[in-house]
Amino acid sequence: MVNAIVGTRWLKLFRDLEAEWGRVLLMVAAIAVSIVAVGAILGAHAVLTRAITANYLDTHPAAATLDLEGDAGAAALVLARQHPAVADAEARDVILARAQVGADWRPLLLFVCDDFVAMRLNTIERLDGAWPPATGDMLIDVTATAMLGTEIGRRLRIKTAQGMAHEVPVTGRVNDHGLVPAWQERIGYGYISRETLASLGEPPVLHELRIALRDPSADAAAVAAVANDVGRQLAAHGIVVHEIRVPPPRQHPHYKQMTTMLYLMLTFSVMALVLSSLLVANSLSAMLARQAREIGVMKTVGARTGQIIRLYATLVAVLGAVAVVVAIPAGLMGARALTNAVAGLLNLNVADNWVPLRVFAVQGCCGVLVPLCVALVPILRASRTSVRATLDQHGIGSEGLRLRTGHFPLAVRNALRRPGRLALTVALLSAGGAMFMTALNVAESWDRNIAKIYETRHYDVEVRFYQPQSVDLARSLRELPGIAVVETWGYSPVAVAKQGQIDVVRAYPDRGHASVVIMAPPTAMRLVSFPVLAGRWLRDDDTDAVVLNHAMAAQMPEIRVGDTIDLSIAGRRAAWRVVGLVEEIGSVGAAYVAADTFERIAGTGGQVRMLRIATLADSPQARVDAIRAIERRLDEDRVSVETVLPLTELSMAMTDHIMILIRLLIAMAVILAAVGTLGLTSALGIDVLERMREFAVMKTIGATPRRIVVLVLAESLFIGMLSWLAAFVFALPLTLLLDTLVGNLGFVAALPFVISPGPALMWLVLIAAGSILASGIPARRASQLSVAQALVQL
Amino acid sequence: MIELCGVGKVFPGGQGGFTALDNVELRLPAGEFIAIVGKSGSGKSTLINLIAGIDRPSRGEIRVAGTPVDALDESALALWRGRTVGVVFQFFQLLPTLSVVENVMLPMDFCGTLRPRAARARALELLGQVGIADQADKLPSSLSGGQQQRAAVARALANDPALIVADEPTGNLDTHTAMAVLNLLTDLTAIGKTVVMVTHERDLTSFADRIVTLADGKVVGESAPRASVRNARETADA
Ligand SMILES: Nc1ncnc2c1ncn2[C@@H]1O[C@H](COP(=O)(O)OP(=O)(O)OP(=O)(O)O)[C@@H](O)[C@H]1O
Ligand SMILES: [Mg+2]
Repeated sequence: MVNAIVGTRWLKLFRDLEAEWGRVLLMVAAIAVSIVAVGAILGAHAVLTRAITANYLDTHPAAATLDLEGDAGAAALVLARQHPAVADAEARDVILARAQVGADWRPLLLFVCDDFVAMRLNTIERLDGAWPPATGDMLIDVTATAMLGTEIGRRLRIKTAQGMAHEVPVTGRVNDHGLVPAWQERIGYGYISRETLASLGEPPVLHELRIALRDPSADAAAVAAVANDVGRQLAAHGIVVHEIRVPPPRQHPHYKQMTTMLYLMLTFSVMALVLSSLLVANSLSAMLARQAREIGVMKTVGARTGQIIRLYATLVAVLGAVAVVVAIPAGLMGARALTNAVAGLLNLNVADNWVPLRVFAVQGCCGVLVPLCVALVPILRASRTSVRATLDQHGIGSEGLRLRTGHFPLAVRNALRRPGRLALTVALLSAGGAMFMTALNVAESWDRNIAKIYETRHYDVEVRFYQPQSVDLARSLRELPGIAVVETWGYSPVAVAKQGQIDVVRAYPDRGHASVVIMAPPTAMRLVSFPVLAGRWLRDDDTDAVVLNHAMAAQMPEIRVGDTIDLSIAGRRAAWRVVGLVEEIGSVGAAYVAADTFERIAGTGGQVRMLRIATLADSPQARVDAIRAIERRLDEDRVSVETVLPLTELSMAMTDHIMILIRLLIAMAVILAAVGTLGLTSALGIDVLERMREFAVMKTIGATPRRIVVLVLAESLFIGMLSWLAAFVFALPLTLLLDTLVGNLGFVAALPFVISPGPALMWLVLIAAGSILASGIPARRASQLSVAQALVQL
Repeated sequence: MIELCGVGKVFPGGQGGFTALDNVELRLPAGEFIAIVGKSGSGKSTLINLIAGIDRPSRGEIRVAGTPVDALDESALALWRGRTVGVVFQFFQLLPTLSVVENVMLPMDFCGTLRPRAARARALELLGQVGIADQADKLPSSLSGGQQQRAAVARALANDPALIVADEPTGNLDTHTAMAVLNLLTDLTAIGKTVVMVTHERDLTSFADRIVTLADGKVVGESAPRASVRNARETADA
């Protein structure tokens, strides 16, 4: 006999669980689901942060790149390697070219080196095909194949600065783990040797001197100091250094994006855990309410309050423990799946899938402690009630807080009879609803921000040239059919200068991440209109004025309107007075200055490096046609084009970057909503169960089954609507928070705060449907119950 | 020996609350069968709850076998109750998910008096004493009312308490079964227990050693109908 081995009270606990296995299962499932999520995300976080760093460090990323005026030849390499802090140095170059894909030209980054086999810095993984590539051939990055529509054995038509198109055979595939996947950036990555570069008609010069330091843990400032030192020694030997690029040390370009995303998901799963704990507390408090009399009896026969608390606390702990046991393997599987998904997204090799033990420890603690803490509230309340009070209690209504509800309809009064339980159910439902609305609101804010790209830019395409072109080119393009406006913009990469030092920028080798540019709009500029955040936009009579966009300002947080900054254009330094800050969505850091001053400093009088063109197009196809016409004219004029960037490409790249996050949020919200509806079903089920006798009495005095169904349904709807209101209110701060977080990730600025009616209405419909569904089973049970049966219960 | 000195009980509600017991003075000797009678609402249950330590008095002192019941803290009170008082309720109050024998074992578990194996043996013995040993492993719901109340008596005896308290234990039983349960309780005085019982039974004089009558929260009468009989018997035995 078990009862001869186990303490009788534990036996009682076990039997109670057995009697309510359905609800117990619901509680365990609710905890388990959230613990699975916590485990999956923590596990993936551990594996991914290790992998992203390992992948990046495996490429032996250069600590700094010195941009030389001439070739980083043997002399420069020897000088660099002689520096005591420098471990290694290599010559490289990165050239922005264009590749033909179908009828259009896409940007292509060409990475050039001397010797693929002896490559020691910023190495690439060899996948298949030729290695090293023969002269005249090209390797492409595996993440760029689909975008370039090419594969091994095919030829790719490419154009470089000198303007002539070349057919280059693609002979192998590589994987560059130091870069963001090409498809995400919408740029192709190709790898060629110096000889191949020459065969494309380009001067065979590698401008970049990349160095690695002996100190593997040097911070950005230390790296910049060493690079500057090397630069001075090169200068002493007549080698001119334009610029030094120092990317964040040892940090993959998308490290921050990835960790922010994972933390966001973790926040959601912790919220889910709190919700499930509320569900447990709710079910438990109902169970305790029904057992009030039994608790009284146990106390009468000698049970101390502490024993009762321990009894039910153990129950919750055991439920949590069971959930944890189930959740750990499932969480591990989830972690694997999430790891693979993110690794695919970021082009990571996950060699080591090992999830650290601390993840399981956290899962265990969360799964047991969080429900326990939440459930302690009803447990303490139930076990502390005096014996007489518990024995006195007949059914409900005799408990603590009483509200004046006399003038409300019956269904509302019923819902309000247990204010504590009502609050829990509403909290459960509204948390799900708040997250649902938040996810959709943030998606809407995101779209709104993407829309700003179009609202603030009135051109259709931006064209940049390798070399400054005569302004006559603009005139010739304006004559093309379908072209409305052609504006000539001054344009140059720029560095924030420090006195007595070579300019340092914080850019990665792909030049895109964390770079800054300077632009000079033409007088009477019409094609952009950025919202001014502080100060003012440029005026025609400005000379040394500069307006910074927010992405640029974010890199120099101490700069205010009225301050002076030093910017250096192609090595020529000048001081500028900051007159304004503007919001420019979808751009790298940019500084805007007056055209005259720019021309004078950059020495580009009568010439132009960037055109912004508005077409007359009224359809996407017409726009594509107009852009192709521009391309043809530039080709006829033998102008070598660096990039042709349609505005649609810009917004597409922005959307691809983060849309995955929004989808994840919505998926989480749907899960939470489901947990909320389960909570409502469970709470209503409990309410009905407790009132069986009451329903029976109502029936004896003439209530029809229909009337009882309507009563339960109305109660459910009332709770649903109440939770909708609460959800709407909760969603406000949550949306604000996520707008800030997601916006900073994607645009370096908070997203516009949007509360759109769509999500609120959608949730209203969902919650109404959920309430009706949730009340279905309890209502049926209440209405079908025979009077005799119900009066026997208890 | 049960002593009540100036005991009052006021329930909250109305103006100044409702006085259920007013200045009760009682001295009840140990080893007797004491019946508490009175009209509905006269305060019988309130009084017996105070004696059993289920409720606390608003005023006055209660001593049971020398223990100042009103002065114990919650936890000490629970332990005292479990070890020295056995309670029998009108509605039996067996825990529905435990078998009959397990219900009897429960007080021993809470008070830590016996380990499970020994507790089971004692519970079976007690069930034998109340005559339902064959029902030991059934659930309470499958027992008749009389059988359930016998089980409740067995549970009250689990920790061998000196005092048995019963609030209308026969109120829910037919006359025949009620008599059987009453006999069970009166037999307990023979093994040295004090029994305090609230009852509406008419023919009390046949078994009660002492009758306390309540009206409107006051003791209005105390008699010892069988004291002479018992005294005579004890004299004869000697
Ligand atoms: N918890 C309570 N709150 C307020 N008043 C109470 C409470 N318990 C009892 N009373 C009141 O105290 C008085 C005495 O109640 P008690 O239950 O002791 O009566 P009783 O003699 O046992 O009656 P019955 O024979 O009907 O069981 C009654 O008027 C009752 O209404
Ligand atoms: Mg009573």
